[in-house]
Amino acid sequence: MDFDFKFMIDTFFMALKGIPTTLMLTVTAMLIALPAGFFMAVVRRSKTPAASQLIAVYVSYMRGTPLILQIFLLYNLLPTVLNVLFQALHIPINIFNVSNSIYAIVIFSLCETAILEEVFRSALGTVDKGQLEAASTVGLSPFQGYIHIVIPQALVSALPVLCNTTTDLIKMTSLAFNMSVLDMTAIAKIQAAMQLSYIEAYLSIFFLYLILVLVIERIFGLVERRLRIYQKG
Amino acid sequence: MLELKGIHKNFGKHEILKGINITVEKGDVVAILGPSGSGKTTLLRCVNFLERADHGVINLEGVETNCKTAGKKDILRIRKKVSFVFQNYNLFKNKTALENVTTGLIVAQKLPREQANAVGKELLNKVGLSDKYNSYPCKLSGGQQQRVGIARAMATNPDIILFDEPTSALDPELVGEVLDVIKKLAKEGVTMMVVTHEMGFARDVANKIIFMDSGSVIETGAPREFFRAPKEARTRQFLKRFIDEPEYII
Repeated sequence: MDFDFKFMIDTFFMALKGIPTTLMLTVTAMLIALPAGFFMAVVRRSKTPAASQLIAVYVSYMRGTPLILQIFLLYNLLPTVLNVLFQALHIPINIFNVSNSIYAIVIFSLCETAILEEVFRSALGTVDKGQLEAASTVGLSPFQGYIHIVIPQALVSALPVLCNTTTDLIKMTSLAFNMSVLDMTAIAKIQAAMQLSYIEAYLSIFFLYLILVLVIERIFGLVERRLRIYQKG
Repeated sequence: MLELKGIHKNFGKHEILKGINITVEKGDVVAILGPSGSGKTTLLRCVNFLERADHGVINLEGVETNCKTAGKKDILRIRKKVSFVFQNYNLFKNKTALENVTTGLIVAQKLPREQANAVGKELLNKVGLSDKYNSYPCKLSGGQQQRVGIARAMATNPDIILFDEPTSALDPELVGEVLDVIKKLAKEGVTMMVVTHEMGFARDVANKIIFMDSGSVIETGAPREFFRAPKEARTRQFLKRFIDEPEYII
């Protein structure tokens, strides 16, 4: 077998162009999922009837089915359904013009929200209820108690897991090529197919993902060290 | 100044408080004694609505609040005047000692930071923690944490402080420093209700003892009579250890 080293390097630099897409998908999905997941965690912890059950079902669905299946379903089924619906209601939107990236963002956000709901739910549990009670005795409203006391501590205890889920998400976005989004993986796949040099192409993004994830881990490590001050005194 | 009338509380089918009536005058140091599970802590928690009593009226400085129907405003009014010291301190772990004291002032009362810090430092000095302003709770001993808890409770300049077994979570060597602080406050005329198992403290510092058992007040009295000649059989039984073996008191 001939190993085409030059091709691998070339693909590496071509796939670099996919990094903005990969990061865009990751960051956007994260920005949507962080508040959404947090909100759901708070609702579920408050045991609001109906709402908490609904969230539980949603989380079970997202966790209980492979992401690739969700992609196939949403990406193939939803536009068709919406199209029929829009036509029936005479809404002049051509659903097939919606960018593939939007679908990717929607599906990754939905998935990440379910994951983060669980992360935050357990993180909020690490802050003992007594502190919130103490906050109420010095005049803080429950909202202020959450903002000043509970959330800062919950975030810190969630950080290691957040780092994990972020790196997981980066790797998940490699499935975006199933929706014809040109991320790192898609670029490498196209190159590989054109040159019929699969190993080189895949190795190149193999390293690219590795580097990306290492950078993210490093950033989280720094942030964590800063925020953990109060645990070291 | 504080009057509790007919406080009832159930947890499910379990009746924890069976109609408690207590009056606290300004400057009183009221010690609430009783076996575990007698409802002492629940009673204290009902006063500032950490638990909501099922029935009863709280009269704080002439303003009556019905426990069952009290709204957010009523609760806030009471909490402004009644502060709480917890058994396990419940300090804000992400805040320094000073911030623990000032958070209520800055966030809830919108006091300027410098002003709040001045108040906070003064109170920390008072409880003997002038060198711990910037220490986080994890770096403080239990006794120091509880003293921060007391400073925090005093920050809002309350009319009455509720102590829920303030020394129960401390190891014996640290109990003294916390009790000393509470004694000092009592001497300054701070009104307080203290749920405690420290009989010596109750006898020496309190001017009124309330003995509770299974959700009712069994006996009320001045410490001298209470410890020397308890009227009720249940009280005598409870105090047996302390009366029979006086050397344990000291």
